[in-house]
Amino acid sequence: MITKTLLRAFDGKAIWVVAILLIIAVAVPASNLYLPVGHPLRVANHFVPLFGKYLTYAMLALALDLVWGYCGILSLGHGAFFALGGYAMGMYLMRQIGDRGVYANPILPDFMVFLNYQELPWFWHGFDMFWFAAIMVVLVPGLLAFVFGWFAFRSRVTGVYLSIITQAMTYALLLAFFRNDMGFGGNNGLTDFKDILGAPLQADTTRAALFAASAIALALAFIVCSAIVNSKLGKVLVAVRDAESRTRFLGYRVDNYKLFAFTASAVMAGIAGALYVPQVGIINPGEFAPANSIEIVIWTAVGGRGTLVGPIVGAVLVNAGKSWFTGVWPEFWLFALGGLFVAVTLFLPKGIVGALTQGWTALKARRTSARAEGGSDIAPEPSPAE
Amino acid sequence: MYPTRLFPKLLLALALLLAALPGALAQDVEALVNALPDGSYSDREKVIFDLAATGDDRVAGLLNALGEGDLYVHEEDGRVVVGKRSGRDYALTDALTGEELGTAPSSALEKIRVNNRLRRAVRSAIGQLTLMSPSPPVRLRAASSLLRNADPDSLELLDTALAAETDPQVKKMMETARAAIIIKTDAGLEEKAAAINLLAARGDREALAMLTGALPSAAPELQPVIERGIAGIERKLALRDALQNVWYGLSLGSVLLLAAIGLAITFGAMGVINMAHGEIVMLGAYTTFAVQQVIRTSFPGLFDYSLAIALPLAFLVTALVGIAIERGIIRWLYGRPLETLLATWGLSLILQQTVRTIFGPNNREVGNPSWMSGAFDLAGLSITWNRLWIVVFALAVFAVLLAVLNRTPLGLQMRAVTQNRRMASSMGIRTPWVDAMTFGLGSGIAGMAGVALSQIDNVSPNLGQSYIIDSFMVVVFGGVGNLWGTLVGALTLGVANKFLEPYAGAVLAKIFILVFIILFIQRRPRGLFALKGRAVDA
Amino acid sequence: MDQNHPPLLYLDGVSVSFDGFKAINNLSLIVQHGELQAIIGPNGAGKTTMMDIVTGKTRPDEGEVFFTGDIDLTRLDEAAIAELGIGRKFQKPTVFESHTVWDNLELALKKPRGVFSAWFYNSSKEDEERLEEILATIRLTVRRDELAANLSHGQKQWLEIGMLLAQDPKLLLVDEPVAGMTDAETVETARLLKEIAASRSVIVVEHDMSFIRDLAARVTVLAEGSVLAQGSLDHVSADPRVIESYLGR
Repeated sequence: MITKTLLRAFDGKAIWVVAILLIIAVAVPASNLYLPVGHPLRVANHFVPLFGKYLTYAMLALALDLVWGYCGILSLGHGAFFALGGYAMGMYLMRQIGDRGVYANPILPDFMVFLNYQELPWFWHGFDMFWFAAIMVVLVPGLLAFVFGWFAFRSRVTGVYLSIITQAMTYALLLAFFRNDMGFGGNNGLTDFKDILGAPLQADTTRAALFAASAIALALAFIVCSAIVNSKLGKVLVAVRDAESRTRFLGYRVDNYKLFAFTASAVMAGIAGALYVPQVGIINPGEFAPANSIEIVIWTAVGGRGTLVGPIVGAVLVNAGKSWFTGVWPEFWLFALGGLFVAVTLFLPKGIVGALTQGWTALKARRTSARAEGGSDIAPEPSPAE
Repeated sequence: MYPTRLFPKLLLALALLLAALPGALAQDVEALVNALPDGSYSDREKVIFDLAATGDDRVAGLLNALGEGDLYVHEEDGRVVVGKRSGRDYALTDALTGEELGTAPSSALEKIRVNNRLRRAVRSAIGQLTLMSPSPPVRLRAASSLLRNADPDSLELLDTALAAETDPQVKKMMETARAAIIIKTDAGLEEKAAAINLLAARGDREALAMLTGALPSAAPELQPVIERGIAGIERKLALRDALQNVWYGLSLGSVLLLAAIGLAITFGAMGVINMAHGEIVMLGAYTTFAVQQVIRTSFPGLFDYSLAIALPLAFLVTALVGIAIERGIIRWLYGRPLETLLATWGLSLILQQTVRTIFGPNNREVGNPSWMSGAFDLAGLSITWNRLWIVVFALAVFAVLLAVLNRTPLGLQMRAVTQNRRMASSMGIRTPWVDAMTFGLGSGIAGMAGVALSQIDNVSPNLGQSYIIDSFMVVVFGGVGNLWGTLVGALTLGVANKFLEPYAGAVLAKIFILVFIILFIQRRPRGLFALKGRAVDA
Repeated sequence: MDQNHPPLLYLDGVSVSFDGFKAINNLSLIVQHGELQAIIGPNGAGKTTMMDIVTGKTRPDEGEVFFTGDIDLTRLDEAAIAELGIGRKFQKPTVFESHTVWDNLELALKKPRGVFSAWFYNSSKEDEERLEEILATIRLTVRRDELAANLSHGQKQWLEIGMLLAQDPKLLLVDEPVAGMTDAETVETARLLKEIAASRSVIVVEHDMSFIRDLAARVTVLAEGSVLAQGSLDHVSADPRVIESYLGR
């Protein structure tokens, strides 16, 4: 039963996406490590963590797409799950510093010494062990999403109301993490990491390994999402998106389905955040900013929501554009990003991938309809709000 | 040497009489002043009291200088002078007459030293002097200074002054001061109890401190009286704190109301989530800045009218921007609220960056006109004019908007569209026109909010961002499609925030409010004042 | 009521009001096993609200609603009621437009409704045969792989009826199934409903008198939230009160 579900995940194009991701996971680190400097095919050192960062963003966008593209829940708070996963990893990395910090305290991270902490706060215990931190990376975002979703979906908070309260959630967390007495380093967050699992973070091999881990994690996330959307579960999610109350009258517990999608998505976002932190070397409360969460939405929208490839393409494209813009033309980045929001919603509602597939099927349909007459009319635009 | 030294008490009792005859004693005053540098601290203290007892007008200034440590003896002629540092040297004036005496280096001067005890003596001496001043405000100040240090030695003087006092306000202050002194003396129990009650009736922190200070040493019979007094004052203070919080809360609430009310209209009538709303508020604030710039450079006399000029202008500018947004972007996205949210968010980034490009990234200085500066006192609360005007303005905007919605054809059409867009459309209402006007109205109000907010907040490209989430909270909490909901929502959240702040701090208070709203939406997914019935589910 | 053979659906003294307006006023109604009952009434008589109450969308202010004698429907939500075997077809056809005809039916097919059983669901041979059978009944076999969005209005209505068949409910609530249909489609729909009613109870809300005549069902007339008359179509259309409030003259 389960194997069949898994096999379905590799239907169609999915197998190609996974294959490409795995090839990237091997090829990029290999070219960086084994090709001589100056070789035209070599990926330069500073690009490895940058591309790795894009992959974690792609995973985050994929996670959002699962709830937004497939279930119609526009979360404006997914940055919070990403950041929580990141903080869990950051806490592990902080504990790894040990007595190599500025204040050389073997237990307390520098910021705690600086803020006159006498002992480690209770919630920092256990983070010196990787396995514990890894569990927390999954558990903390998952639990928050579960509790939040359990309340929200059971009370049938939908549409923009849900979007607004997810935004309120991440905003509240932003304010909380800015506070020094929260015990997460306040404004400055967690940084100055030294090593992960004994390997120094600055080493090329570590960075290559983190890149490979990000690519593999993205591939796994893709397989899980594919297994979800290609099953009857995925069909129910789409049904909820299109006609929630009809789904309910068919006997489906819509709140449970939403809760499942929301929690699974938050866990994925948390893992992405955990992979992001060691590659960029810092996690601070800014990651909770509502603007960040909205940016995730635009990656997904640009690539094409409701497709699994779309968010990956969108996240990589938009962030590559951002890197380029902020390097060359920093003051125009906000114009470009803002314009992108407007243009995509007005002219490209299905995103790049959605538009391409639509064009492709239209082309195929024209060919077949040339032979057998008829053909289908395009779905009408949704009617105005009631 | 001097008879007054032998009979100080007698002379104190004669103070009034002496004050009536300053000329006759002028000689004496000067002699006393010249005696000031001599002798020990306790000698000096006696001189101070003697000086005060003369009741001479000039003595108050001299004693003040003494208390401040500005009184010196000129080593050449032994004259007592007031010295103020001026460059390297000291500018000298005669201690009594205030006559200018040129400058002298510090080596030529010897300071008349005072210790804490002398300072106290000076204070109470000045109090005695001024208690008998012909001017009531001076007497009032003197009485309140006596109340503060409550020197039992001043009691007799105070009694004398009290007997002659006619001004009721001064008299009340003197009585309170007397009470403060009485509880320190060994007066009778009944008298003390009366004094305690008098102090308790005053009901401020000073009275509280006096009673708390008197509690441990008080006679056991008096302790319950004092405790009752303390409890009474604490109640009164708690009430005043509560009032203060309510006022701060209303003030914050009116700011929230201003920021949210335009949003409530567009969200309520059109189901449109306008994420650029905050930036429209910001445009209003920058319009005020631009108007003030023009006034500063060309018509400085009009500065006090700058807000009156900026207000309609900001409305116009932002309403036009709003209509342009609606016609250009939003109308293509009706029925897709989540897409509208994204498009307007993109727009907000563009507007922010545009303003940043034109006006620069830093805060811009927007001045307060004179009628919005300063503060006044109301029942112990300090109320600043700009906050008061903003509360008034917010309520006025609310009232006008309510009238527009309920009394004008546009309002009628807007309400019709809010309740049933399709029906309104089939009845011949031009819904696109109504949409454009609604959006223009909502944006125009946001622009006017910007004018008001420019008076209390930094005008920077980020101004809008700091209000947008709060505005959404207000609208969602209050309920969509109902202006009263927005009013109640804004004021409730404002007051709740300010009541939480003393206990939790500003940031935690805000977090609590956010969490509260998240939980509240679970209970009432459509807000406080939701439309009910079948139409809502459609 | 008879404890040994309780009616399938039993409403007694049900009232509900919205903002002071009494949409349902002391309504009592009984539906027997295997019965086809038509409900007619003017606009605002409370027909749709009655369905909302039975399917758990609206909670009554007072009154009892029992299914198969002992199940209190006022305590259950929509999903639970649907799982008990009460299906509902809306006035406006609501099918899942971005799913194919086949997927629409598969979603409706009577199977465990849990999240994980949906995730690991694999269609069996019997399931597919059942769906083929339904497709044939609602005449959509040739369009099985098309998106539901591309169906005509009448075909969407049929697809929805097909979904109800796949749900295999004990009681079916059908709201204006022939609104906007051509005469031929209407006749076809009446045939379909009679076929369905052969094995289960059906409540049809409809305005179309000839359609109700085709159904040959027992008729209940609702007006202002309560029952005005009951009986055969000829019986109720002769009732002066019904003529007064609904049929007009």
